[in-house]
Amino acid sequence: MKRVFLFSTVALAGAAQAHYIPTTQTPTTVDADLVATWRSASLVEEYDYWQVPGTLMGGHAWPAREGVQVDEMNLSLNHRIDENLFGGVGLASHPEGDDSHGGVELEHAYVGWIQSDGPWVAEVGRLSAAFSPSLMAHAAQRLASEAPLANDVFFGRHFHDDGARLWWHETAGVSAGAEIWRGKAFPATDSGDGGAWDVFARYQWQGERWSFQAGGWFYSAAAEARADHRYGGGHQHVPVAPPGQTATAFSDIRYTGDTDIQGLHMELAYRVSRDWRLALEGEWMRAKLDGVVHDAIGRQADLDGTQDGGWIQPSVHWRQHTFAVRAEQLTTDNDMVGPAAPQLGDESGLANPEEHDPRRFTAIWRWQWRDNVALRAEAVRDESLPETENRWTLGVIWQQRLWPVGPVGHNH
Amino acid sequence: MIPTRLFLPALCLLLAACGGGSSTRVDDQNASASDFNWNMPGWVPLPMEPANNRITEEKFQLGRHLFYDTDLSGNGTISCESCHQQDKAFTDGRVRPVGATGEVHPRNAQSIANAAWLRTLTWGNPALTEIEQQIVVPLFGIDPVEHGINEANQDMVLARLQEKPEYQSLFAAAYPEQDDPLFGELAWQNIVRSLSSFVRGITSFRSDFDRYNAGEVGALSASAKRGMNLFNSERLECFHCHEGYTLTASVRDRRITPTVPAPFNNTGLYNIDGISGYPAPNTGKYELSGNPADMGRFRPQSLRNVALTAPYNHDGSTATLRDVIRNYAAGGRNITTPPHVGDGRMNVNKDPFIVSFTISEAEIDDVVAFLESLTDHELIDDPRYSNPWLEVTVQDTAP
Repeated sequence: MKRVFLFSTVALAGAAQAHYIPTTQTPTTVDADLVATWRSASLVEEYDYWQVPGTLMGGHAWPAREGVQVDEMNLSLNHRIDENLFGGVGLASHPEGDDSHGGVELEHAYVGWIQSDGPWVAEVGRLSAAFSPSLMAHAAQRLASEAPLANDVFFGRHFHDDGARLWWHETAGVSAGAEIWRGKAFPATDSGDGGAWDVFARYQWQGERWSFQAGGWFYSAAAEARADHRYGGGHQHVPVAPPGQTATAFSDIRYTGDTDIQGLHMELAYRVSRDWRLALEGEWMRAKLDGVVHDAIGRQADLDGTQDGGWIQPSVHWRQHTFAVRAEQLTTDNDMVGPAAPQLGDESGLANPEEHDPRRFTAIWRWQWRDNVALRAEAVRDESLPETENRWTLGVIWQQRLWPVGPVGHNH
Repeated sequence: MIPTRLFLPALCLLLAACGGGSSTRVDDQNASASDFNWNMPGWVPLPMEPANNRITEEKFQLGRHLFYDTDLSGNGTISCESCHQQDKAFTDGRVRPVGATGEVHPRNAQSIANAAWLRTLTWGNPALTEIEQQIVVPLFGIDPVEHGINEANQDMVLARLQEKPEYQSLFAAAYPEQDDPLFGELAWQNIVRSLSSFVRGITSFRSDFDRYNAGEVGALSASAKRGMNLFNSERLECFHCHEGYTLTASVRDRRITPTVPAPFNNTGLYNIDGISGYPAPNTGKYELSGNPADMGRFRPQSLRNVALTAPYNHDGSTATLRDVIRNYAAGGRNITTPPHVGDGRMNVNKDPFIVSFTISEAEIDDVVAFLESLTDHELIDDPRYSNPWLEVTVQDTAP
C-alpha cells in the first residue's frame, strides 16, 4: 500500500508539471498546486536588490524573503480534443518583488498534435520549455523550495514563452526535439532581432531497482536592449523607503547580444527496498554571452562572458520522508571592453571585484503528510552574494488532481 | 554498498567540475587616463577633449589669467568673469548680463562649471558642441556685443595682452612647441584654446549630494532626502531632464556615445500669440532650425549649484527656485499681464513631462532643500579657479 502511495505521489508530481498530454481515457483533467513557505531571513535587505556578482539577471529571479510567502500557485486545465489533438491552459502565480511585478499570469495556453501510434508530437502556443527538466519544474515538484541558482541567473527562474515545439516523444526511452520561441522569456527579447530556439535530447531507462535519466540541450537567445525587469526596464525610478531607511537606486543597464547556453542533466535512482530509495540528480549549464552592455545615455561596453552553473542533489527516500542535500555553484568569467566598461560593470552587476564564486547549499526534509499535502523544512546556506546568509524554511505543499479523481494519465 | 560506491564518486566528480575562479576583467581603453588635475572625485567619468586641444595644466593656468583679464575686451571694461563670477557658481546674479558696450544680452548667463560634460553649450543652439567654438561668440560676437572685440580693435586688444609680462611665460609654457605663441599668427587661436581649457577644467562635484551618494548618509538633511525622493518621483518627473551625475540629460563624457539628439525642451513658459510662440529673440532651438516644433525649446540646465545661480530660465524671468517649482506644478506659466500675455500651460510644444501636479508648501521646501544640497561650497572659494591677478596684486603689496 505504501509503495502504491509513493508511486502515485511521484506520478502526480509529474502530472502537475508544466506540460502534460491527457489521455483519451481521461480526456479532461484539472490540476492544482500551491506552495507556501516561511523563511527565517531575507537574502537581501528591504529596498535593496539581488544581483549575483558577475552575472546579468532578470526574469522572475526574486530573492528569498523573510516570513511567509506563496512560492507558487498553479491551476491547469488539460483536454484531449480527439485522438490526435490536445490542448491546455495554465495559470500561475509567483512571488512578487517590491513593486508588484509578479501576480497571476497565463503560463500555458497551447494546442498540440500527437501522431497516431507514432512518436511525434507538435505543440504551439504559450509553453514551458522542455529542454531542461529543472527549468520545467515548479516548487511543488522540486525537493527544494527555491529554484536552482543557475536557473535563476541564466533563465530568470521560469521559462514560459510563445512558441512551437516538435519532438520525438518518449519512444524506447528516447525523447528529442526542437523548440522555437518568440523571445518573451529571459534571456531573450521579443523585439525584431530577438527570439530564441533550442534543441534537446534525453534518454531514460527503468530497471527493476535502478532507474536512470540523462540528457543534453542547447539553447540560443538573441536580445535587444534587454532590461532586468525585476527592478527596472522602461519607466523606473528611485524606490521610496520609509523615513530613516535608505533605498538603493537600481541602474537600468541593458544587454544587446547573444546568449548561448548548453546543459547536461542526469538522474540516477536505486530502490534499495520497499521502504528505501536513493537518488542522485544534477544539472550543469554553460552560458556564453557575446554582446554589448549599454544604457539609455549612450554608455556601452563589449561583453564576452563564459559562465558555468550547476547543482547536484543526493537524496534518501524512506517511506513518506525524503532527505536531500542540494549543492550549487556558479563560476563567471567575463571580459568587458570599452570606455564605459568600469561603470557599466559596477552598475550592471557584472563586476566581481572580490572574484566571488556564488554557492548555495540546501539541506531538505520533505514529509508527504497526506496524499496531496506535504510538509517541507530546509536549512539554507546562501553564498550567492559575497556575504553569506543562513536561513531556515518551513513549508507546505498542496498538489491535487481536482478533476477527475482517479489515476492520472500519461505525462512527460 | 553499491549505491554508496556510486554516489560518492559521482558527487565529488560533479562538484569538482564546477571549479571556481570567477573574475570580471575590465578594459576601459584608457578612458580614465589623464595627466591633468581635474580636481574631482575618481568616480566622475572624464570629459571629452578635442584632439587638437588636449588639456594641460599650463593651458589651464593661462586660460585662468585670460578669463579674469578685462584687457580681453574691446574697451577694456569686462572680462569673462563679468558674467561668470566664481561666488555665484560662475553666473552673474542678473536677469540678463550686460556687454562691454552696455548692450543687454537676451539670455540669462549660465554657469560654466562642468561645461566640459555638456552636449551643447548654449541655451538654444544645437550646433555649438565644443567649448572652442563657443568661446569665439562672446569674444567676437556682434549680436549682442559681449567682449566687443572686432577686426578694428583686435590688434589693440592683443597688444594690451602682449605688454603684460605675466603672459610671456604663461604662453611659452602653454605652447612650448611654438616659437612665439603670444606674438605669432597663432596668438588668437592660443587665447581661445587656453580659455577653453580653463573652462573645461572648472569642475564641481563636491556637494552634500555627492557626499551622500558616496555613502555619507548624514550629508543630506531629512528635508533634502524627502526632496530627493520627490525629485525622482512619478509625480514631479524632474529627473527625466535633470538626471545622472551632472543633473542634466545633456551630458557626454568619454564613456558615452550619444545615440539620440541632444535634448532641448519646452517647459511651457510662454504662449504669447496663442499659437505657442516665445518672445523674440528668445525662441530657443527654433531660432536656428526654423522648425515650428522647436519654438521655445531650450537645453535642460544642470542643477548643480542651482541655488547659487538665480534668477532662472533662459531669460532670467523666474526669480526663485520656489517659483520654478510652482511653474512646473502648474504645468507651465500663465502670464496675465503685458507684455507677454499668454497661457504657457497650453503651449503645444510643451514637453510631455511638463504636466501639472499637486505639491504642498512643505514639499516645495523639501525640493528646495534637495536643490540646495547640490551646491558645491568648495567651488566658490576654490583658489584653483579664482582670479590670479588678485594673487599678483597681493604679492606686489606684500612687504
